[in-house]
Amino acid sequence: MTTYILRRLAQLVPVLFLASIGIWAMVYAVPGSPVGAIVGENATPEQIQDTITRLGLDRPLYEQYWSWLRGAVVGDFGLSIQSREPVWGLIMARVPATIQLGLAAIVVGLVIGVPVAVVSALVPGSWIDRVLSAWSALALGVPTFWLGILLILLFAVELRWLPSVSTYVSFLEDPLGAVRNLLLPALTLGVYVSGIFARFLRASLLGELKADYVRTARSKGLPERDVVGRHVMRNALLPFVTIVGLMLAAFVGGTVVTEAVFTYPGIGRLLIQAIGVRDYPLIQGCILFVLVIYVLMNVMVDVLYAYIDPRIEYR
Amino acid sequence: MSGGLRRARATAGRVLARPAALVSVVFLAVTIFVSLTAEWLLPLDPLYQDLAASLEPPGATYWFGTDELGRDILARVIYGARTSLLTAAGAVLIAGLIGVPIGLVAGYFGGWRDAVLMRVVDVMLALPGILFAMAMIAVLGRSQMAALVAVGVTGIPGFARITRAQVLSLRQRDFVLAVEALGGSASYNMFRTVLPNAWSPILVQVVILSSVAILLEAALAFLGVGIPPPTPSWGEMLRTGKSYLHEAPTYAVLPGIALTLTILSLDTLGRVLASVLEDRREIVEEDAAEAAELRQGQR
Repeated sequence: MTTYILRRLAQLVPVLFLASIGIWAMVYAVPGSPVGAIVGENATPEQIQDTITRLGLDRPLYEQYWSWLRGAVVGDFGLSIQSREPVWGLIMARVPATIQLGLAAIVVGLVIGVPVAVVSALVPGSWIDRVLSAWSALALGVPTFWLGILLILLFAVELRWLPSVSTYVSFLEDPLGAVRNLLLPALTLGVYVSGIFARFLRASLLGELKADYVRTARSKGLPERDVVGRHVMRNALLPFVTIVGLMLAAFVGGTVVTEAVFTYPGIGRLLIQAIGVRDYPLIQGCILFVLVIYVLMNVMVDVLYAYIDPRIEYR
Repeated sequence: MSGGLRRARATAGRVLARPAALVSVVFLAVTIFVSLTAEWLLPLDPLYQDLAASLEPPGATYWFGTDELGRDILARVIYGARTSLLTAAGAVLIAGLIGVPIGLVAGYFGGWRDAVLMRVVDVMLALPGILFAMAMIAVLGRSQMAALVAVGVTGIPGFARITRAQVLSLRQRDFVLAVEALGGSASYNMFRTVLPNAWSPILVQVVILSSVAILLEAALAFLGVGIPPPTPSWGEMLRTGKSYLHEAPTYAVLPGIALTLTILSLDTLGRVLASVLEDRREIVEEDAAEAAELRQGQR
């Protein structure tokens, strides 16, 4: 098991290495000079010279990359151009908000998606199955930003029940306030993810229902409720855990669009703002941060999957 | 070639036999036709500003109302379709022209070429698609071309992976080995022997990616980093419409309906096409869902 984890982590090294070069080189690929990109267009000659020396832009390229990487590894992405604050701190301040939204969306997705999948897998081909499958297709097809706008129109503009702009309120400090602020964005993302959950779980349940052990269980007279609840669900949930984990990885990596709809202060919105003012250290920091979290979460999902399913070989 | 044509016609017949696919194809055909012929067919101007009539509700003059500059929302939705479809077409072309050869070479030769190319593809997949596209736009600056390239490049991994998987399954088949044994060059073998037999999943990918590209273009525009105004774009309209939810609640509705119907039509067509071509519905569905939804992550 340890070897398996180490091997999966070792596979990340070339990917992270190549990606880090790409992210580092971003600033150099910007039209104009990297100095211009970093100090902005209205910089004085002193500022420009100062930046060149400070960033070591007069040194060879591999040295520049090396020192950038050394900083990045310990979380030192430099200072934001806009706020003059350390990029790492700015990102960390947004992490709780993004995680909270991601988790809430997963919960909503499970609450909607799992019953949809179970019901439609039990009566495959029926009109109920068709209606529920259509729901999944709709949930996947409706763009989240439009669904978010429709929800705002209904619940904030017409009914005035919920705020149209969501701020971050920690669930642990003020559960009610958190739910009030999270409900619409979590519903927006949750509907989408429920479509994915329903589709995967349905496919996986149908696969299991064809298995031999199901016939055995039925032929020994086990009630259908137990066949599904005890046998089928357990096996079908294994691959499903992977999907839930992957979605969580994607959400923790940023829910850019949904955060924009509700002006929710997460990492995605930080990145959008950074792109808007061409704050390159902040852009690089956000992207590298999301990338590392995303690939690590993906590995964790694989490891978790291997751990809960003894049939997986740790190759 | 007539054999290929016959097969294509048979496939089209089986796809259109499904009511859902037929409705989708008709909707897409009408959308494409209207958006490309709008100048000649309809007396609508998406750029004309009637400032005295800004944010009008739907009525007799402006069926779907006007935007904040007094422009006809219906006209902008119709011309927005053109932006969406052309971006999608261009992006799919970019992704296919780069991704398919990558998959071909990686799958055909294997070895170090496969290792290097697939690591590069892994790097592209190491970020959710929308962040990858945003990073590219951050570098290229905001322009129509940047949006097109960003959406296109984001689609490369999908084509590369699907082509590679298909090539791997064909590589050791007798007819491929025969061409090799008879001294056919590698490029002849790849493009004339392997590729023509790998079309089905690539075609499915074209449809799926079109849907993803339309959604991604709209998402980028919604975030304010897509195709710059005044070019009509559904995503941009949703972005502006969101600022006027109280004054003009219908503003953001029509562009959203057009966007959603287009995406649903393409998704439906992609699923039906996959099941008809491959006869392995569940697998393709998973592939499609994983490739298109999970990895793109445009949320």
